Amino acid sequence: MADQLYLENIDEFVTDQNKIVTYKWLSYTLGVHVNQAKQMLYDYVERKRKENSGAQLHVTYLVSGSLIQNGHSCHKVAVVREDKLEAVKSKLAVTASIHVYSIQKAMLKDSGPLFNTDYDILKSNLQNCSKFSAIQCAAAVPRAAVESSSSEKFEQSNLQVSSETPANNELTTNGHSPPTSKQIFQQPKGIMGMFASKAASKTQDANKETKTETKEVTNVSSAGNKASGKGNVMSNFFGKAAMNKLKVNLDSEQAVKEEKIVEQPPVSVTEPKLAAPTGLKKSSKKAEPVKMQQKEKKRGKRVELSDDETKETENMKKKRRRIKLPESDSSEDEVILDSPGDYEAESPSPPPPPPSPPPEPVQKTEPEPPPVKSSSGEKRKRKRVLKSKTFVDEEGCIVTEKVYESESCTDSEEELKMKTSSVHRPSTMTVKKEPKEERKGPKKGTAALGKANRQVSITGFFQRK
Amino acid sequence: MFSEQAAQRAHTLLSPPSASNATFARVPVSSYTNSSQPFRLGERSFSRQYAHIYATRLLQMRPFLVSRARQRWGDGVQVKKLCELQPGEQCCVVGTLFKAMPLQPSILREISEEHNLLPQPPRSKYIHPDDELVLEDELQRIRLEGNVDASRLVTGTVLAVLGSARDSGKFVVEDHCFAELAPQKPAPTLDIDRFVLLVSGLGLGGGGGESLLGTQLLVDVVTGQLGDEGEQCSAAHVSRVILAGNLLSHNTQSRDSINKAKYLTKKTQAASVEAVRMLDEILLQLSASVPVDVMPGEFDPTNYTLPQQPLHRCMFPLATAYATLQLVTNPYQATIEGVRFLGTSGQNVSDIFRYSSMEDHLEILEWTLRVRHISPTAPDTLGCYPFYKTDPFIFPECPHVYFCGNTPEFGSKIFRGPEDQRVLLVAVPDFSATQTACLVNLRSLACQPISFSGFGAEDEDLGGLGLGP
Repeated sequence: MADQLYLENIDEFVTDQNKIVTYKWLSYTLGVHVNQAKQMLYDYVERKRKENSGAQLHVTYLVSGSLIQNGHSCHKVAVVREDKLEAVKSKLAVTASIHVYSIQKAMLKDSGPLFNTDYDILKSNLQNCSKFSAIQCAAAVPRAAVESSSSEKFEQSNLQVSSETPANNELTTNGHSPPTSKQIFQQPKGIMGMFASKAASKTQDANKETKTETKEVTNVSSAGNKASGKGNVMSNFFGKAAMNKLKVNLDSEQAVKEEKIVEQPPVSVTEPKLAAPTGLKKSSKKAEPVKMQQKEKKRGKRVELSDDETKETENMKKKRRRIKLPESDSSEDEVILDSPGDYEAESPSPPPPPPSPPPEPVQKTEPEPPPVKSSSGEKRKRKRVLKSKTFVDEEGCIVTEKVYESESCTDSEEELKMKTSSVHRPSTMTVKKEPKEERKGPKKGTAALGKANRQVSITGFFQRK
Repeated sequence: MFSEQAAQRAHTLLSPPSASNATFARVPVSSYTNSSQPFRLGERSFSRQYAHIYATRLLQMRPFLVSRARQRWGDGVQVKKLCELQPGEQCCVVGTLFKAMPLQPSILREISEEHNLLPQPPRSKYIHPDDELVLEDELQRIRLEGNVDASRLVTGTVLAVLGSARDSGKFVVEDHCFAELAPQKPAPTLDIDRFVLLVSGLGLGGGGGESLLGTQLLVDVVTGQLGDEGEQCSAAHVSRVILAGNLLSHNTQSRDSINKAKYLTKKTQAASVEAVRMLDEILLQLSASVPVDVMPGEFDPTNYTLPQQPLHRCMFPLATAYATLQLVTNPYQATIEGVRFLGTSGQNVSDIFRYSSMEDHLEILEWTLRVRHISPTAPDTLGCYPFYKTDPFIFPECPHVYFCGNTPEFGSKIFRGPEDQRVLLVAVPDFSATQTACLVNLRSLACQPISFSGFGAEDEDLGGLGLGP
């Protein structure tokens, strides 16, 4: 009975649905070998014609063979209507194959619809287009889908990277495994391992909060890396200084988890950042001049991302995956500002006070930021404060520079400062700045407010850059 | 050949379904090396002058020409440089040819206002009876006259001329010779038939529906869907497919959008985008079944200057999943099963066609082989990268199969060289116009055209099939 099934199917397709049934279409639809589909079509035609000679059935055939033309023996492959079949056959010197190409109810004027039918069924079966073919090629093994993306130059988003990791692991025999993905994933680990040991010794702040915060950030930033062990490693070297750098970097470059080898960030030891090592490098070099811009950028970002504050850690993590660190940045800030309670629970990374010393040699090394946050919930944060530093540089000149320094202060202080600033600052600039400050992280806010508190006068705004 | 072999098996398809259907395994690739490295460009700098390429061309070709000259005109012939010429003395000079053509489009003349010339419409041939030949060597140049046919020669050819200088300052030529064929390694002997399919000019995006069916039939034959068992078995012996350029149609170049105002063309997609998508699907079907080499052509999205670099794989997201897909340069050189292939997408031949009186593309192909240079007209009239160290278009050795794509019609010939070299010359026709591809049999070094057709309303006399009365 199974034999008869296909006859009924074809009958249905041709007569009821008025379809053009090509052998290829039938092969994909019924899931049979192409040759079998051709034979089925032939069988159907024969039977139908036998039982009902007046059947409305138009058949096209494929004829192929050789023909002497212009002195060459040319191999011809042609789709012909039934009425021309014999004529074509007679012209060919050698007939290589004849089979039914398609069956349809209506007479076809030209072969366009045949192509369309084949094209449509092919489109829906692109991935296994040679499944029912008579030739199987051993060499045609599809590479993992990942490989095309992995061979791109380290321009990938974290998401992509995360999708690659599992795919990499599943790679099988094909010699053309994604070239560097695997290695690259190993390398960061290796380098991070390096950093871990280094960082362990060099991490200045042993404060757990920082660690937990950084861990969060690390987890976020290393979201792509499914290596869970990494979280610990990364947290070790994600010091406050590094956090600042991270933010700075992330603002300047959205390069998330690069597969680039983590290059040694030039100066700061605590800077190893897996996510954007080159970003770090760059940013460290131009940290100072860029800082201001980045702060501006960060402000903008914080404004946009103010909605994130209430998200759960996981959500934050997810968000962080997409936009990596800048987000974690702002969300942390939000949390700190608005919900002290959440702060502990979520333990977002504290807005890393601009790591003080961008590795400018001229600057004095900043004193180690005091343990900013105790896990007790007291909102102590390191704020970046704009301060003037006067010193004698190598040429013997007295240089005064305005630098951002980490200064620790508590949240309450901050709030106070903000309030007082609103009172004291008469200039419009400060008024405008207020909402920004409120929404921004404590970093800038505190810095500005700190200044505002210290020097309350009309010229106060000159100090803010 | 392909058809005879295919016809040997019994016809099984005009019968009720059989219990089992044969599946054939594609012949495995026993040996393949891509030797197109000289055509790959790394860092490209266009700040160099093009004179260097001529200098290095002459330098590299001089020894070949001197030896040929001695072979032809005897060892006693004096080979001199132009600066050493004495009037009246018969000698042989080796140099690069320059053909001064009044009809050659010159951008300087076009934009020059004092001549008030309108831009010249493109012609099919730019030759003129008044063309003059000038021979240049490293230091000097001299006008050529005499037994040399200017219409058959093009600028950039390096040749040796035998003759004497006249007092008028011209060189009267008695005979000339080219570098002829380079040495050739012997072709391997294969035990089974293996085929390489050469196709060019698929012309996707051209809007012609007829050629799409032909393309689909081509793909179906190669992937073993079409045909009876015999044909499928033969198709399984196709070990490689080479797409020789012009995968996209001329229409996808969308030159008209350059002239339109921006606001009109803002949202329109380039025609090549859809065409490349179609190409990707075709390549996917092919590469799922057979190793494919894709060469870019004149209308394909890659650089214009020769050597054209491979198409970028990001354009073919579906097809690049298969390792069997290879994107290669134009010109392309490879050794397949021990048989050396060298070919271009046809720009070199069509350029020589425009600037010489030779009509048959196959004849021009043969001529480039004899001149031992793939495209002598580069960089004069054909865009070329300013090489300075070596000229990669000089034949280092003679190939076994030398092809060029996008010719108006199929042509194939065995050419024999002076040192018993045997080269199969193949002019691969433009598929979008002729629906014809070429099957090269590696064992016998013969080539058979294979053509496809559907049927149309106007086909009463089987004219479309080429099977007319």
